[in-house]
Amino acid sequence: MAKAAVDNNIKELEKKQQWWWAAEKKRSKRLDYLRKAMWKKGAIGGIYPAGLQVDLEQGILHTQAGRAMEMAPDPWVVKYAKIFAHYLDNKTIFITDNSQLVGYVGSLPHTINWNPTVATILNAEVITDTTALPEPLDESLKVINDVIAYWSQKADADKLIPVADISDVTKILSGTIGWGVPMPRGGYSGKDYEFIMTGKRGFADVIAELDEKIDKADAQAHEPIANLEQMPLYNKMLNWEGMKITLEACIRHGQRFARLARIIAENFETDNKRKEELLQIASCCERVPAQTPRTLQESLQYDLFIQLFSRAEAIEGAWPSRPDYYHGPYYDKDVNIDKRITKEEALDLVGEFLIRAAEVSQYKPKWLREGLQGIEGTWVWTIGGVNQHGDDACNDMTIALLQAARLVRVSNPTFGFRWHPRVKEEVLRECFECIRQGLGYPSMRNDPLLIANSLHWHKHPIEEARTWVHQACMSPCPTTKRGFQSMRMANATANCAKIIEYVFTSGFDPVVQMQIGAETPDCATFTSYDQVYDAWLLQMKTIFSTLVRIVNYSRFVAQIYTPRPFLSGISERSVESGQDVNDPSISQGNSWITAFTWVENIDSLAAIKKLVFDEKKYTMAQLKQAITDDWQGHEEMRLDFVRNAPKWGNDDDYVDSIMLKCLRDCAAFSHKLQDPMGNTWPILPENVSGNIHYANVVGALPSGRRRGDALYDGGISPGPGLDKKGPTAVLKSCSKIDHITDGRAFLLNQRLSPTQLAGEKGFPLWKAYMETWYNLGLDHIQFNCVSDETLRSAQREPEKYQEVIVRVAGYSAHFVDISRKTQDNIIQRTVQGLVA
Amino acid sequence: MPFCKECKKFFPIKGDPSNGDCVERVVDPRQAFYKAKPAVAEKDASSCSSFEKK
Repeated sequence: MAKAAVDNNIKELEKKQQWWWAAEKKRSKRLDYLRKAMWKKGAIGGIYPAGLQVDLEQGILHTQAGRAMEMAPDPWVVKYAKIFAHYLDNKTIFITDNSQLVGYVGSLPHTINWNPTVATILNAEVITDTTALPEPLDESLKVINDVIAYWSQKADADKLIPVADISDVTKILSGTIGWGVPMPRGGYSGKDYEFIMTGKRGFADVIAELDEKIDKADAQAHEPIANLEQMPLYNKMLNWEGMKITLEACIRHGQRFARLARIIAENFETDNKRKEELLQIASCCERVPAQTPRTLQESLQYDLFIQLFSRAEAIEGAWPSRPDYYHGPYYDKDVNIDKRITKEEALDLVGEFLIRAAEVSQYKPKWLREGLQGIEGTWVWTIGGVNQHGDDACNDMTIALLQAARLVRVSNPTFGFRWHPRVKEEVLRECFECIRQGLGYPSMRNDPLLIANSLHWHKHPIEEARTWVHQACMSPCPTTKRGFQSMRMANATANCAKIIEYVFTSGFDPVVQMQIGAETPDCATFTSYDQVYDAWLLQMKTIFSTLVRIVNYSRFVAQIYTPRPFLSGISERSVESGQDVNDPSISQGNSWITAFTWVENIDSLAAIKKLVFDEKKYTMAQLKQAITDDWQGHEEMRLDFVRNAPKWGNDDDYVDSIMLKCLRDCAAFSHKLQDPMGNTWPILPENVSGNIHYANVVGALPSGRRRGDALYDGGISPGPGLDKKGPTAVLKSCSKIDHITDGRAFLLNQRLSPTQLAGEKGFPLWKAYMETWYNLGLDHIQFNCVSDETLRSAQREPEKYQEVIVRVAGYSAHFVDISRKTQDNIIQRTVQGLVA
Repeated sequence: MPFCKECKKFFPIKGDPSNGDCVERVVDPRQAFYKAKPAVAEKDASSCSSFEKK
């Protein structure tokens, strides 16, 4: 088709808001190939898509290495480093046609990586869920059995659980109040990007630093006169040795890719242009990770390698990063200064970088897949913001990332944009285009406010706080020596709807038939709202404490049971000190409690206060009976609680004051709960798709919700369809919260009309709304901008709408990859009309 | 008995010819790629289903 015809076709598609088809026509042939070559890894309704296979290679290689060292005298940190090295030295590698970046977490493009060293509970699920096991099944099962048997009692959780408080473990594993299995190497690890990504050192430089440290310590340890200063040196030398082993293996792994690229170029490839590209890949992988990058391609490859190596060591549920900040200088050098590549060529690299991240997959149990429908993990990349001096940090790479996102339209990674008053309009326009074109990202984050929040809660120095990235979906975390958080277990995720539910059951959980919460008095005897609230407060403290205790304990013992030699090797604090990266004494701390299903508490308390105690229409005994009966036989009463009780999100002080009281009492408690670094545990209301996952686990609630109904979509977002007073009322309710001192961050979902944002009027309208959002002091907002009509059509004919993306909660997903219940929940959200 | 070093897919490492890479072309339902696994030159390849004599 002639170019003019193609352009017209694109315009037509864009006019019809068929962004996904327009993108297909706009992107380069290379990006089109790579985008379509990608195997989507996100589970659909908890089930892995057809064609994917659990990768047995890491299990086999780890078991092989583990067995070979059974009798070796090495301590665990060194053994584990050698197991890691054996894996990188022997795993299958591949180079996809047309690609310029290489490396994958598994052995083949369609595989889901499985690391058997993390938890037997996880391993057991691999063998019981046969939907994604490679054929022939008998052979796979034989291998898996062998691997599981070997790692039983050696895996992280197996070592941790027996020494933790078994009562807490049982409550957590019941799946009612929290999320996750206690796995120190299964969570969200930040990175010390200021150490490893600023072009000051590559892995070979770190190895040289480690050699110096080891030599010096060795000399001290062998001084002829015994002294106490020698004592800590033995452990330090072992840690340094572990770091060195892993970093050397990483360099060799890069060289394996270089060799493969040369073999293809010299023996198979007939196209001269592709030959050149392959030789470029070879040169790139000979350079990084051993040495510092020189070009954008090397910088992206270096970053990708770091992420993949980290995933060879641990299960990473998130991807904390700041790609514009760290790759921006290389983009500028290549495109603007040296002009060695064009903008279009840079866009190809950036687009491929997104694709390489989107395809990463590590095996997760079904309950976790249900909570992260349609995606593999929460890769929320941070862009925009200020630098350490407080100046605008946006650059051409920021724009390239936003443009590339619209071309490749992957649902993961997504971006969180650090908004501040000095962001240039052209950058904001790019953000707006992504939102208008239905990507659901970037989420918008209030940069000055969140920097102040980091100072308040975790006392990070301001220059460090300014480096912040999203550690998972929402929580800011610096990328500095002491500031970055090396371990965050998902266990500190509270299913908060249980707080109000347990007020009615005196802490007994009817689903799992266990006493999980506090044994508060029978609520039928309550004669005042204060008694209800006191019971709520005690349940909150009990649940939060149960969750926090296990994470704290895991952090205390992680350095012993679950060292991370690779992550330590790329962290200044460990290279300098010889201590494992998770050692609390060398870390500032950046803990938070993720508060799923939070607003249910507020609407429920408001309903109780108004209908039981203010208007005295019902007694607590009647309400308890209705809740116990799951509202069955009490429909008229239920509708009263739905329709006639005030709801959060309508600028109604009655209910909004309850929100503030709850948050402030939580905040006071957060200061008492300490993490092993001596820092606080603020709460962070958000949800991923926990509102659907927990729908059958949470019983009836005074908000009028029945068991099985989807919970609210999370954070401080009003219940779907319950925000009836328009977008400004939502913002005003949310602005009553102090987004610095009341919690760590607060997720707000909003739906906007694509029709309203169409054309030239769209951007000023959105920008004015965003300025209101900023001036009201909210820390977060994210948008869905896909019409009901499109979403309904996608439900009817999913095959035609494979590429429609929606914002679920702290992440985006392809609409067809999420469950019907989640789809309906998104459609039910109020579409806000903006006023010019 | 065939050895890996006699296979078309075996590529020795420069300076270390006893070790190399087994390189194969793969076309899966979505993409085409080359894959590599470490291989030992003197390894018995008689049970290897993808062995191709040079």
